[in-house]
Amino acid sequence: MVVNILILGDGAAGTIMANKLRFLTNREDAEITVIGNSKYHYFKPDGIHIPLGMKDYRESVKSPQFLFNYGINYLRDTVAGIDVENRNVSTLSGKSYTYDYLIIATGDRLVPEEIPGFESEASHFYSLEASLDLKRKLSEFKGGKILIGPSSIPYQCPPAPYEFTFQLDRYLRRRGIRDKAEIHYAFPLNRVFTMENVSNYVQKLFDEKGIIYHTLFNLESINGEKKSVTSLEGEDLGYDLLILVPPHKGQKVITESGLADDQGYIMVDRHHLNYGSYDNVFVIGDATDLPISKAGATAHFQAEYLAGRIASEISGFVAEELYDGSVACTTVTGDEKAFTLYFSYTRPPRAMFQSKLDYILKWTSADTYFSGMLRGVM
Amino acid sequence: MEKQFTATKVVDARGTFCPGPLMELIKAYKSAKTNDIISLYSTDTGTKRDAAAWISKSGNELIGVFDREGYYEIVMKKTK
Repeated sequence: MVVNILILGDGAAGTIMANKLRFLTNREDAEITVIGNSKYHYFKPDGIHIPLGMKDYRESVKSPQFLFNYGINYLRDTVAGIDVENRNVSTLSGKSYTYDYLIIATGDRLVPEEIPGFESEASHFYSLEASLDLKRKLSEFKGGKILIGPSSIPYQCPPAPYEFTFQLDRYLRRRGIRDKAEIHYAFPLNRVFTMENVSNYVQKLFDEKGIIYHTLFNLESINGEKKSVTSLEGEDLGYDLLILVPPHKGQKVITESGLADDQGYIMVDRHHLNYGSYDNVFVIGDATDLPISKAGATAHFQAEYLAGRIASEISGFVAEELYDGSVACTTVTGDEKAFTLYFSYTRPPRAMFQSKLDYILKWTSADTYFSGMLRGVM
Repeated sequence: MEKQFTATKVVDARGTFCPGPLMELIKAYKSAKTNDIISLYSTDTGTKRDAAAWISKSGNELIGVFDREGYYEIVMKKTK
């Protein structure tokens, strides 16, 4: 009997999942189908480099149809409904699909429209278009106050705002206008990052580089006329250039299919990644509500765990391994240095140090991603 | 002696860790009315300090932080 595996989403999570599964299963045993509609596959971590003119965006995008290994059916369509009760997925083109295993890897979406004034006032680097727009604004920047921060939590790639801040500091120094600019960084918690020991380290570097930080700043409103933002805590911060991570939500179809609340993130078993009482419906990547980073690195570890588990089951073995929330990611600290974090649900990141080698690892990560990680060989 | 209170809203964030509990508290705060009492349950030890700092900075009242069996209860009053 051929097992029918249906994967929803052609981003990092869906693509890695499909390719890893294809490596681990025979075509006579498993048919793998991916439904996705991405215009292009964008390597999002390069968003911290593109606005600063450090990378050509063409190195960071590929056509999704060329990223799937041989033996995977890739259908260009949009998921319109997911009915886990009846094992059915419907699409906008009017087709419907059944499955033996369903893997939801639909990611999340940016919802800047949820904050009045965001779209007219704020720039960001969370999409290719926005990164290119920010590049133009930065090239025209001659001096003034730049305010950076996340507008809410959760958001993709938690270190990205501080990474961008470090790179921006370097960019302004190289342009010879750092002394004409104030860099302000605002964060919702009472530190500059979620993980305390990482935060202490970043805070020390902020101090060294003259980056001014504001903590417990939960954005409430943007006043375009006054060029200021106000927090829920009642603090006002002015800006000449506002760079904010847009609010995020899960996909609409997830909420509309009754799999999640209005926020759109699906509750999953934290050690098995399955949804509810279904042992054939799994969720990976940014679509989950797991209390870990929303990042390609997370999706990579989840796909590795899940592909191994499903392949074992198809082979008739009982998969006993548990997913432990492992993530490894390299984060930039400016001045061509970076550090790499390893952590899991129960293991906080260990003491870290910056190195040029880590920076090279980050700098070349788009190549590693497209040629190795995404292909399922890493 | 423990201060007496009746929570208007209970936010059960046990089993999640930073920034989950604080974000859940802020979410409940946004939909609460002035004088509502919000009780946050958390198993994350850092939340005790983080939530207290946020309650103070946002100008609300921290009623107390209590050690319960296997979790902490942080109670605040929305005063604004």
